[in-house]
Amino acid sequence: MTDSQTKSSAERLSEQTGLAERIITDTGQPEQQTARPRRVTLRSQYEPAWLHTLTSKYALVLVWAAMALVYYILMPTRFGSWGAFSSIFGSQQVLVFLAMSAMITLVVGEFDLSIASVMGISATLVPVLAGVHGWNVWIACLVALGVCLVAGAVNAFFVVVMDVSSFVVTLGTGTLLIGLAQMISGSNIVSVNSPELSKIAIHELLGMPVSFYYGILLAVVIAYILGWTPLGRSMIFVGANPEVARLAGIRVQRIRAGAYLAGSLLAGLAGVILVATVGGFDSSTSATYLLPALAAVFLGTAVVQPGMFNPIGTIIAIYFLTTGIFGLQLLGFSGWIQNVFYGAGLVVAVTLAKVVRDRSKTD
Amino acid sequence: MAATMRLEARGVSKTFGSTTVLRNAELEVAPGEIHALIGQNGSGKSTLVKILTGYHTPDAGATISVDGQDLDLPVRWSEATDAGVSVVHQDLGLLDHLSVSENIGIGGFPYHPVTRRIDWKAQDAAARRVLDRLDVPIQPQDPVGPLNAMRRAEVAIARALRDQRQGEGLVILDEATRSLPREELRRFHELLRKVVAEGTSILLVSHNLKEVLELADRVTVLRDGVVAAAGIPTAGLTEQDLARHMLGKTVEAVGRSERGTGHTEVAARVEGLRADTLEALSFEVRRGEVVGLTGLPGSGFEAVAQLITGGRQPAGGVLTTAAGSVDLSRADVAACMRLGAALVPEKRILEGLAVELSIRDNIAIPSIRRRGRPWHVARRWQEDEARSSIRRLGIRSRSPHMLIKELSGGNQQKVLFAKWLSVEPDLLVLHEPTQAVDVGARVDILRAIVETASRGVGVLLVSIEPSDLAEVCDRILVHSHAGDLRELRTEDPDEVLHAIYSESALTAGGTTHD
Repeated sequence: MTDSQTKSSAERLSEQTGLAERIITDTGQPEQQTARPRRVTLRSQYEPAWLHTLTSKYALVLVWAAMALVYYILMPTRFGSWGAFSSIFGSQQVLVFLAMSAMITLVVGEFDLSIASVMGISATLVPVLAGVHGWNVWIACLVALGVCLVAGAVNAFFVVVMDVSSFVVTLGTGTLLIGLAQMISGSNIVSVNSPELSKIAIHELLGMPVSFYYGILLAVVIAYILGWTPLGRSMIFVGANPEVARLAGIRVQRIRAGAYLAGSLLAGLAGVILVATVGGFDSSTSATYLLPALAAVFLGTAVVQPGMFNPIGTIIAIYFLTTGIFGLQLLGFSGWIQNVFYGAGLVVAVTLAKVVRDRSKTD
Repeated sequence: MAATMRLEARGVSKTFGSTTVLRNAELEVAPGEIHALIGQNGSGKSTLVKILTGYHTPDAGATISVDGQDLDLPVRWSEATDAGVSVVHQDLGLLDHLSVSENIGIGGFPYHPVTRRIDWKAQDAAARRVLDRLDVPIQPQDPVGPLNAMRRAEVAIARALRDQRQGEGLVILDEATRSLPREELRRFHELLRKVVAEGTSILLVSHNLKEVLELADRVTVLRDGVVAAAGIPTAGLTEQDLARHMLGKTVEAVGRSERGTGHTEVAARVEGLRADTLEALSFEVRRGEVVGLTGLPGSGFEAVAQLITGGRQPAGGVLTTAAGSVDLSRADVAACMRLGAALVPEKRILEGLAVELSIRDNIAIPSIRRRGRPWHVARRWQEDEARSSIRRLGIRSRSPHMLIKELSGGNQQKVLFAKWLSVEPDLLVLHEPTQAVDVGARVDILRAIVETASRGVGVLLVSIEPSDLAEVCDRILVHSHAGDLRELRTEDPDEVLHAIYSESALTAGGTTHD
């Protein structure tokens, strides 16, 4: 019995939206105390536990395998070659880094729309400083990453300290950074010819460019941090409910700000890898990197840990999407297919994952 | 009864997946009666209400009729409304930024047949009519935002009665009295009696057994999805009778065994606590002691729970425990936790638990830094802690991996309690720990409080529930108007209530405790 005058606005909001009530719903039924005949359905009878896990957590992997099989049957020589394999798995490092960058902020409940522009400014600065101005390429990289951290700090200041909507702030800084990148590059395609820089990305290791392993390593490290360190567990609670996290002794503001910084740093690294791989960058293309990265992160919520942002799921989603597009391109569909597949794949897969999750909850 | 029932539901069952939450339930509400529907959390009570309102589809074989007319199943809300059924939810569902008239009209504005423009004049007149019928002294044009809890409840009732002809219809009150302050309840009950006196029926879903006995003519009790008592008259029943029907066994009062006086060491001391309405409060909690803190709702004593655990910063104050002392005006939660102070906050959904995460994760989070290393937190102890909590507090769940949102309210509250027990505090501060939980869970929680204290923890219970305070507290600190604390030792809830509300009792009630 609380006096309504003393209620916080959050509580009023939850009362109005019926949040508190909706959460205490019927799924919290008592465990059966008397032995009741368990309803035997076809599904419960023939579906062993491992298969249930497989279908509810790894459905996307199954779809991926089925899709690969179809492509293989249609084009046994072209799709079944090592070349096809390495073009699928060896080409997405930039997207992996950028998706991880997006995921770190999403995990703590923030939304960073500026990551693609941060990547853009990094990918512009490195060739401009090293190529045009003749700086040492490593120093150029460090300066570029430093600028990215400053961008992250600006986001963190406005969102965390000034408490402005993260959509507004990051949309603003993102647009601003695109402008800055165009200014620095004179709206031209800038390039740098540095064998030592490209070596860190495209040096071959076991038939794959070394940067492929960076991406996998990064995802594994983030998965470990989120699952098995105090920092990661705290991040997940901040994302789930900041007030609960605060009252559990977690320094919420620090974690939110840290997520913006870490996200920007990863986006900067994505830019460095982009330049190292292709040797140059057109700053006007920055924005096109944003949606695929976000799509991959959200699609990743459909696998491994359904309903939660998770790095391994994100990796699976990236290569699932790439496989689909690559196969369609081999079949003769041209450039437009990429966007169609990304968009449709995202909506369909996440919806299916939600349906599977809702159905399995009461079992 | 030969007369047709206002509402007649028979053979209502509901199965989710492989779990049956409601089996063959029946409910009969006569015209012009107040009929209570009670049961523990998870007994199927809210499922039944949701079937009546069309939110859930019942399993085959159910019949629901209003005034003898069978409704099609699943219930279509428009059809139910036409038959005269309306609902007031526990949150009342009012929109603060709209006027009284708009709030009353929502979902059924009268409009022009051609232009479909809302006929505001007719709407205001309709609102006026229903407000007059209830003798509520507010104007249709008043905004809802600034109204007090009682007025808001009246507006919600007015909306429920909007489309009902006088003397007909059924209003379902789904925990709607929860938001009302105690002193307003009586007036609200009068309002409800006025409504039924005209012949309208009320189905009262409530946790408050006292209210049920005072207000309802008959009561239907659900237990584990089955009707345990079907429409028995409340005359002559006691709260114990109702509790017995709900639980299937008698509830013994938790009671305090005289705990050993061996623990005389002070667990925590608060000195000079100053905040908005609080002036230099000082008190101490000894090891093994349950201390109650209460006062008039809204007088500011409630804030103490957060102020002494770092949840909010007071203007001044010092917390001292065996582990040291800290200036509360600059301490955050982590600092207070280091001293061994833990808070079980009031609002479990907003402040207590992350509902999308599992029981295990929620229980483990406050200990994660202390029990893990910066680079690794093992899963084993988290799992063990969750399992032992589930066992100890009797949390009804299938596994530690169940999500909080899948639990019922009482079980969520137990998880919240377990979460803060797991940090092994020296001082455990509980803020309204039995709010909106059923009888069974309440007893479990109170028992766990006593048991926690007996293990040498100092417990501070910040609450306005006189019966909780009287049942488990060794001494009760009553925060008076004057801003000082008076100490009370009693096992009689009425005495606590008396001490809170009357100044005279305060001066007679006990010794001044600075």
